[in-house]
Amino acid sequence: MTTATAPIDSTRSPAGALTRRRRSRDLLKHLGLGVFVLLMVYPLVWMAVSAFKPGHLILTQPGLVPRDLTFDNFVQGWNALNRPFSVFLVNSLLVSVGSIVGNLFSCALTAYALARLEFRMRKVYLAVTLASVMLPLHVLVIPQYIFFSQLGMVNTYFPLLIPKFLATDAFFVYLMVQFIRTIPRDLDRAAWIDGSGPFRTFWYVILPLMRPALVTTTIFTFIWTWNDFFVPLIYLTSPKMFTVSVALSSMVDSQSQDGVGMLFAMSLVSLLPVLAFFAFAQKHLIRGIATTGLK
Amino acid sequence: MATTRSRRPRASKLHSQGLAAHIFLIPWQLGLLLVTAIPLFASLYLAFTDYNILSSPEFNGLENFRRMFSDEYFWASVRVTLVYVFVSIPLQLAFALLLALILDRGLRGLAFYRSAFYLPSLLGTSVAIAILWRQIFGDDGLINQALGLFGVHGESWLQNPATALSTLIVLNVWTFGSPMVIFLAGLRQIPEELYEAARVDGATVVRQFTHITVPLLTPIIFFNLILQTIGAFQTFTQAHVVSGGTGGPANSTLFYTLYIYQQGFANFDMGYASALAWVLMIAIAVVTAIHFILSKYWVFYGDD
Amino acid sequence: MNEVDRRGFLKLALAGAAAAGLAGCGGGDGAADGVTSLRYAWWGNNVRQQNYTKALKEFAAKNPDIQVEPEFAEYEAFQERMTTQMAARDVADIFWIASAQVMTYARNNLYRDLQGISTLDLSAYDNAALESFKLDGKLNTMPFGIFVPVIRWNQTFAEEDGVELPAGEDEWTWDAWAELLVDYTKDNPKGRKGSPYEADADLPFEAWLRQRGEQLWTHDGRIGFTVDGVSSWFDWWEKLLKAGAVLTLSEQEGMSPDWTLVGDKVLGKVANSNHIIDDAKMFPDHTFKERAVPIAPGAQAGHKFLYYPRMAIYQGIDPDKVEAAGKLINYNTNTVDMLKVVGLTMGAPVNPEILKQAYDFASEDETEMLKVVQADQEAERRPRYEAPPGTNTWRTAMARVAEEIALGRTTVPAGSARFIEEVQAGIDRAK
Repeated sequence: MTTATAPIDSTRSPAGALTRRRRSRDLLKHLGLGVFVLLMVYPLVWMAVSAFKPGHLILTQPGLVPRDLTFDNFVQGWNALNRPFSVFLVNSLLVSVGSIVGNLFSCALTAYALARLEFRMRKVYLAVTLASVMLPLHVLVIPQYIFFSQLGMVNTYFPLLIPKFLATDAFFVYLMVQFIRTIPRDLDRAAWIDGSGPFRTFWYVILPLMRPALVTTTIFTFIWTWNDFFVPLIYLTSPKMFTVSVALSSMVDSQSQDGVGMLFAMSLVSLLPVLAFFAFAQKHLIRGIATTGLK
Repeated sequence: MATTRSRRPRASKLHSQGLAAHIFLIPWQLGLLLVTAIPLFASLYLAFTDYNILSSPEFNGLENFRRMFSDEYFWASVRVTLVYVFVSIPLQLAFALLLALILDRGLRGLAFYRSAFYLPSLLGTSVAIAILWRQIFGDDGLINQALGLFGVHGESWLQNPATALSTLIVLNVWTFGSPMVIFLAGLRQIPEELYEAARVDGATVVRQFTHITVPLLTPIIFFNLILQTIGAFQTFTQAHVVSGGTGGPANSTLFYTLYIYQQGFANFDMGYASALAWVLMIAIAVVTAIHFILSKYWVFYGDD
Repeated sequence: MNEVDRRGFLKLALAGAAAAGLAGCGGGDGAADGVTSLRYAWWGNNVRQQNYTKALKEFAAKNPDIQVEPEFAEYEAFQERMTTQMAARDVADIFWIASAQVMTYARNNLYRDLQGISTLDLSAYDNAALESFKLDGKLNTMPFGIFVPVIRWNQTFAEEDGVELPAGEDEWTWDAWAELLVDYTKDNPKGRKGSPYEADADLPFEAWLRQRGEQLWTHDGRIGFTVDGVSSWFDWWEKLLKAGAVLTLSEQEGMSPDWTLVGDKVLGKVANSNHIIDDAKMFPDHTFKERAVPIAPGAQAGHKFLYYPRMAIYQGIDPDKVEAAGKLINYNTNTVDMLKVVGLTMGAPVNPEILKQAYDFASEDETEMLKVVQADQEAERRPRYEAPPGTNTWRTAMARVAEEIALGRTTVPAGSARFIEEVQAGIDRAK
């Protein structure tokens, strides 16, 4: 590559001017981002504040500053469904962790084969993978339900978890395929020349290199499973098996908005683990190959 | 291009690779057989039947497909969905990419911003969204209160057929967190050495962006484009939650999948719903195929 | 670090597989020896969920040989799940039936005959009552509540603003109510309006039709009303809308407004008799009253009617469980024990004996409701028929037309004609 004349040429700037300029530029960035953040999170802040208002005032006195603070929504919400809300948090955690493991395991294997190995039907398989996410859930759910029902798996977590272990989340398969394809071929070719078979290559070369994709898969699987409503609603009939999203939906009646306070309070409670998880996981997005370097 | 071009693997390795591939693909093949294929073919068959969920399906040929042509709700839902896809996806991806680039390097408090921008996506499509959205776009919502300061009396944006869809587009753009995270992950995948080498060569920031970042990110941009488009075609929950499942006012938020749902689950017309679903699938497949054809001109893979 | 990562990955995979296996063992446990396990499915909000769970536990305590598995969901979610379960023929033994599906399920033979179940005591009901429970001449569902259409008003507002509803039954006409709403709105100092816009309210609409000598559905599963009938109803609402006496769609955020949102903005509304119980609680500082809907001059005899929410025993129930299921339904409908726990949110008791006893434990709002229902129960009534198959979405269609009229996108006659056309098309397709 050749050097071109450019507006900002760092190599030629005197050091002092550079830091000053960078600092003011950062300040500007912070300012812009700050305003943007406010816009983005306003609705959530409103929800958080509302959770501390008496239920019937949420919609009638919608201001951001609550007149009287109360923890009633949390107390009532926590016990609203005959058992402590922690039961649903644990259920959701179980399903989410199971799904993460399933997706990481099955999608990584599948993606590697589809992205790197040469075999007939490869293109067809890729197309089939994509095609399987093109049909909307609502026409698939009944045949699927009949299938799991005949296996006697209704009211267990199997219908939620088995598909994850069988690489049916094409989104993640394809995500990983795309990431693997950004990894230079030279790397695994070198491993092949060293005598590594496809399994060793996958395990020692590709898997460590696709870490950002694995982290992304982990984050999304966790959040999407946590928020998923329709599938757990249909398969989990017994209240003790409910996940958080199904439990939350039981708090408001679609025919009236009674229980909004509890809904907000418990939404907030159920948002915390997800937020904590994201805050933790996103760090791993930073410490990818960029810091360890290409080996 | 940053990567070197080289020969394809030798043919002699093809056989063992094929065997390995099929071992790697065991879970996927099982899933395809057990979880995906059965419902897929079931729905294809049902598309040619009259099936009310409660009694056995009866074959009725192309009747379901014929019915679509004269079904005004079908056409309304096609219109709504197309507008939504073509407006909200470019907006959402542009936001996501821009923010990912800003957040990718060189700024304090990155972790905070990343989490803040992702917060809306965390909330997902919870029931609470309906109430939040009314708080902003409703008759007495934030926007109208702001307009009120200027003496403008606004009506509910959610109840006006001309603006209701825009509020859902805003909702989609608001949750740009997911594609942003994928972009961030993609940016992390770009080897730092390439930038170092470029800097040694004296390449400017702009040049590094256009010559390293963009080309190496194209597979990820392509991924986001494809999957977000497929997702947008299937938008259901947002519309269902915000309109209370009606697709109103005056069908202005009657998304295609919402209509499928209404036909299948409210009207018990699963035959028609399946036919609608297959038409959607074919439409998505065509759009995706076009994306793939065009991708040859702008997507660069490290494995070419 | 790569080594650690891979080991972690492997560990995580194993742990996950184990967790998945364990999770599966948690649910679906069957009944112990000698104990009949019944699945009971119902809908509602969390309060109803708690109350019914408690009542079902009490029932199980009184009947140690029966165990009840509760299956609960919010109304819409309930229907989604029920539809899927019906398709797979994997349904709760006893279930509540969403109104739109009553006949659809009946035609598909999904209810078990209730006659001849020794544990279900039907002796408190006279022949006319039993006749009104039947679908297609078969006693296969059990009503467990009564709703009637009412006008409900905010007595606190009425007193504050010095309004009084016509006292005599003869003066209580739709026109009088409309006039009152217009007057109320015209010079209301607090900007309150007469009522929400609810031209899609089903029971009041049915009352309107019956007073005109029409009906919603006929005995043989056809539409029982005319374009004129619907038009007159929509007209009544449009006049109110034009006079500004009802909330605009913008003010009430769409059709079927949330009561929490509009409750402190209006004097009154058309409603189902049972709604007062939940709705009044949302505005604890206000007093609410209700009375039967107005009557048009020259209304046809026997126009009054009772709407029943129904429950049923699933056709495919294990024959050994039928007696136990009968016992539970009996406990639900023919004793006060259950009602004392669950309250009257699902309407007044159908059993006339129980209805009289209900006054003893009813709250003020519940008493208000009981009185209205009892009066209608004692009135002369022409038979009423449930919605035929293919009309599951008739209320959605009606709401859509009502909305388009309010938005000025269609006229009353055109909208009414289209409404009937759509419903008819649904019926034709279901044949």
